[in-house]
Amino acid sequence: MILVAFRNLFQNKIRLVISVGGVALALLLILALDAVFSGVEQQVTAYIDYSGADVFVSQEGVRNMHMASSALSASVASKVKAVSGVASVTPILYVTNVVVADEERNLAYIIGLPPNAAMGGPWRVVAGERIPSDGEAIIDAGVAEKSGIGLGDEVKILGEEFTVAGLSDGTATLINSVAFISKRDFAKLRGDPGTVSYLLVKVEPGGSPERVAARIEAQVSEVTAQTRPAFAAQERRVIKDMSTDVIAIMNLTGFLIGMAVMALTVYTATLSRRAEYGVLKALGARNGHLYRTVLAQALISVALGFGLGLAFTLLLAAIVPQLGTNLSLLISGASLVKVSLVSLVIAAFSAILPIRQIAGLDPAMVFRGK
Amino acid sequence: MESQIPRSKSQLPIPDYQSSNSATLKVDRVTKRYGSGATEVTAVQEVSLTVAAGEIVLIRGPSGSGKTTLLSMLGALLKPTEGTIRLDGTTLSELAENRLPDIRLRQFGFIFQDFNLLSALTALENVALVAALAGAKGKEARKRAAGLMTDLGLKERLNFLPEKLSGGEKQRVAIARALVNDPAIILADEPTANLDSKIGHEIMRLLRRIAKEQNRSVVIVSHDQRIKDIADRVLWLEDGQFKEMVTMATDPVCGMAVEREKAAAQLELDGVTYYFCSRGCRAEFEAERRGQVVGDRLTLQVGRP
Repeated sequence: MILVAFRNLFQNKIRLVISVGGVALALLLILALDAVFSGVEQQVTAYIDYSGADVFVSQEGVRNMHMASSALSASVASKVKAVSGVASVTPILYVTNVVVADEERNLAYIIGLPPNAAMGGPWRVVAGERIPSDGEAIIDAGVAEKSGIGLGDEVKILGEEFTVAGLSDGTATLINSVAFISKRDFAKLRGDPGTVSYLLVKVEPGGSPERVAARIEAQVSEVTAQTRPAFAAQERRVIKDMSTDVIAIMNLTGFLIGMAVMALTVYTATLSRRAEYGVLKALGARNGHLYRTVLAQALISVALGFGLGLAFTLLLAAIVPQLGTNLSLLISGASLVKVSLVSLVIAAFSAILPIRQIAGLDPAMVFRGK
Repeated sequence: MESQIPRSKSQLPIPDYQSSNSATLKVDRVTKRYGSGATEVTAVQEVSLTVAAGEIVLIRGPSGSGKTTLLSMLGALLKPTEGTIRLDGTTLSELAENRLPDIRLRQFGFIFQDFNLLSALTALENVALVAALAGAKGKEARKRAAGLMTDLGLKERLNFLPEKLSGGEKQRVAIARALVNDPAIILADEPTANLDSKIGHEIMRLLRRIAKEQNRSVVIVSHDQRIKDIADRVLWLEDGQFKEMVTMATDPVCGMAVEREKAAAQLELDGVTYYFCSRGCRAEFEAERRGQVVGDRLTLQVGRP
């Protein structure tokens, strides 16, 4: 009966294209949205991932950077440095603010770096300095290009003018970018030179970041110490929590569109072959045989739609970064599993109505010429 | 009952095996009513019929006489309101609904007016599918279908879609589909209605040979007068009841089936009555016998002109 399903499906090419295309577009909606958010998740932790730190130390109870504020006494750095297994400590200052370039306002993580910072600076510099001196800023190359500025031009950060001394790459996301100024400028503008936001810790070669983090929490009071992966995971979780509703609504929209398209095409495909199903029933096919045919038709359509939707998404993922946007599409395994399951549900639901129709077919109708 | 097979130079070959599945179909006082109360309609009323293995029964009658309802009940597609239908030891009319598909699949072969081939499948796949439904594995089902279709002269058409076949070829595919599970009974609904005269005759002869050489029962419902030529019995159904029965005989010269009562010529010889489709056949028969029989002991009885 799989053969019947296959042949039924491929006999009417236009209906096949509509059916598979409709499902592909619906699944594309889900896949692309997931890919966008996966990309954003990856971008949003880019600073953490590329910081070079093994352990992040923050104010007690603060477990991430996005929409968070952490204040540690500057003296904590030396206490952390004294913990066994710690190779080096880089204190940074951090706040979410804007980089104003030529009237263009770009949301940014502002990082205050100490001179000769071993960690926490820009990880790819395409032009200029790697560490900003006083009065200098390193901003994302994409942001600079969009704003029409370059090295030596002025930008306003935290209300103060800075000269662009370096351009970094990979430091912008769909929603914000990362800008680096000197820790001294940052502290001066914030008016609190005695505190830092986070301590970036490098453990000794061969050391365990987990053990070092645990030791820091045990030996230094009022701090939270997390390994880099744990810190990044917390960051992603915050982003996910913020976007879950949006994703859920868009997924539901995709699911409903996909199901409507499939239900309509499987239903009309079955309706157009009602007489043939009646013949099969008269010849001795059981309802189960016919149900399997309809279900197989739906599954084959959805599988083709899934493949096409995935191909469209991969194409998008390849094209979008070329368009000069900060958007990055990342197709995750979890997303593929989710969309596969959604596809199966779409196939099953879309087959219900035709199956009910077949169940009510009277095989004797073949002799009545219906 | 005479069961000689018509001879024809153009006759189609048929599979050269005997059905291992011969059976007698017995219909006993079967009634079918639709609706209830004021809207009740009796489509078939107390009809009885026995179809022996190898017999061809033609059921004729006006539109709305109950032919289709009767055929549906014979084929286990419809349950009678009253009465019983037996296929050898099995009472079909008492079987649970879920057992009927298997009976239809293995005991009956259906041939339809509109051929009813699945349009998306090739001729071979149409036949193999029915074998597969009965449990044959894919390769075996295709082999069996291909063998049968080759025997029916369709070797060059195996991979054609139905839309590419002529009416006669479609009906032969439908016949192959009807035979593929070696059924005891063939039920045909207007099998020649959509065919031209020549192809219609071919199909009729094919059905007769299937009955006679393979010992299968064939029940045909048709308006086509020509089918009388191949039937052993013709039944007239009107208002849901059999009104008239006509007994058929075979012309010993040309092989045509003729109604005994309306034969163009008859000949009595040594206590046996022969029936002819024309006086020419009778004359030919007579001439042949004249050479064999000394003296003229033949009593000629000329039929209606």
